[in-house]
Amino acid sequence: MTENNYIYAPDTAVSDGFRCRVPMKGTRQVFVINGGVQGTGKRLSISVPDNGKLDETLQIISVRTPEQAGRIAFGNSIHFGKNSSGALILCSHTFSEDPFVTEETSEISLGEGASASIVLMQNEHNRAAHNTEFNISLGEGATLNMVFMILHGGSIGNNINIALNGRHAGCDISGLYLVDGSQKVDNRVMLLHNVPECKSTQLFKGIIDDSGKAVFKGLIKVLRDAQKTEAYQENHHLILTDEAKGLSEPQLEIYADDVRCSHGATNGRLDSDALFYMRSRGIPEKEAGLLQQLAFTSGVLEKIHAPELRERMAAMVEQRLRGEFTDCKGCSRNCC
Amino acid sequence: MTLLQIKGLHASIGDREILKGIDLEINEGEVHAIMGPNGSGKSTLSAVLAGRDTFSVTSGEVIYRGMDLLKMTPEERSHEGIFLSFQYPIEIPGVSNVNFMRTAVNEHRAHKGLAPLNAAEFLKLMREKMEIVKMDPSFSSRGVNVGFSGGEKKRNEIFQMAMLEPKLSILDETDSGLDVDALRIVASGVNKLKRSDNATIVITHYQRLLDYIVPDIVHILYNGRIIKTAGKELALEVENRGYDWLIKGQDD
Repeated sequence: MTENNYIYAPDTAVSDGFRCRVPMKGTRQVFVINGGVQGTGKRLSISVPDNGKLDETLQIISVRTPEQAGRIAFGNSIHFGKNSSGALILCSHTFSEDPFVTEETSEISLGEGASASIVLMQNEHNRAAHNTEFNISLGEGATLNMVFMILHGGSIGNNINIALNGRHAGCDISGLYLVDGSQKVDNRVMLLHNVPECKSTQLFKGIIDDSGKAVFKGLIKVLRDAQKTEAYQENHHLILTDEAKGLSEPQLEIYADDVRCSHGATNGRLDSDALFYMRSRGIPEKEAGLLQQLAFTSGVLEKIHAPELRERMAAMVEQRLRGEFTDCKGCSRNCC
Repeated sequence: MTLLQIKGLHASIGDREILKGIDLEINEGEVHAIMGPNGSGKSTLSAVLAGRDTFSVTSGEVIYRGMDLLKMTPEERSHEGIFLSFQYPIEIPGVSNVNFMRTAVNEHRAHKGLAPLNAAEFLKLMREKMEIVKMDPSFSSRGVNVGFSGGEKKRNEIFQMAMLEPKLSILDETDSGLDVDALRIVASGVNKLKRSDNATIVITHYQRLLDYIVPDIVHILYNGRIIKTAGKELALEVENRGYDWLIKGQDD
């Protein structure tokens, strides 16, 4: 990753209606322009009815445009009714080089027995700051698989509050963040086990280059009644320069006495033995380092269960790590 | 034709001198064995030839096919035909064997001005070469050396050697951690790759490997110097008499 190679060439023509040019098969798009749904201007509110099933993956593409530069704040809500299910892709982009500040609140609730898979892609330019507060609640037997792909952005913050409110609820939350130049990424997870017999896993990994800075603070709080809780958290940083900083603050607060919880955090560098091994086979140093970085990202990418989406994300991660522009294959729009 | 000439090579790690003046000449078609007790500098010599930067060369020169080897990066050395089979092959989780080797082979091809192999061509080549060391094709999708047994790791080294077709192979303690069957497979792989225009340096403690890979010349390395050079009978003598008779009076 080097910031210098990251050429920003936006296509700002969204006034006559923004469309994704390379939608994936089986997806349906909703566009949010400067916080309002394209067409109505209203805040996004999605509700999947009880027992409903989203036939197609719903892709919500949220863009900031020069028509409304500066700071905006907005909220949205997504609700999955009882025993409903569906998959969402949430993308956020900036469409001009204005210094955007976006403050967003996202309420996500899963009713009893609901099952949801959500992949977020945050890909914004260097002068953009985007802070999102996620308030997520899961009812009895609900399951959530959520993956944060934080590819690019001046300053990106995610405050992720998750409450497991019904027995046998389970969530698998993971995140990959790629930070270079003078970018900052700050992820905070507060995972509340309020009731017994729930399970949560977290895997957050970041690659930090140049003088980038990444923070991960994760709290797992197991309340007194939440017996038989299983909660696991992992955070790993790959730090590529002496100036790059990775801060990891794993925390466990356990008030129940019959639980299985663990956390682990590491800050590491590229493995010099592996680099030499690859170089001794003729792989140039830079490419050897890249292979190691790609290997580091694979654990999070594997959390994306839809194959086509996973491949697309893997390709964008590779482009990003190569210092190229992260766009979808076949598209010239340069969403960023 | 002379492939490698080492003249007065001194190398250190930190301020500890390990190689204290090595002279060695290797010609095409030759197999050299370098034997010596633990700590004599065998692995350091192989690491220096492959370009490991944890060692610093303090004096001497290494001419490889007319080039100043010590000025070349590890990847350039590989492109020019140097191959080191590691004593302890490195595990690289998350990088599959197939991806690792495809990248390496295509870098070698690019260096020769050849187009990269496509997926089908590459898999065909990979299957052929895996056969040389009787490696199960299922290893190709696994992470490089991850969860491989000692024998599997060494087979993987010789498989990589087969893929890259080096001019000068340095086998660093390839026999360590191998049972007799694995040793035979690995050695027969090495022998199959032998040609009149390449050469091999076999570094080993024991004579055992040299029953299978028969050397033309045997060197005894001790305390950073080659203290004796002779024909293959020297290996047998070491097997029978140990190193003591050779190193008596050698210590500084």
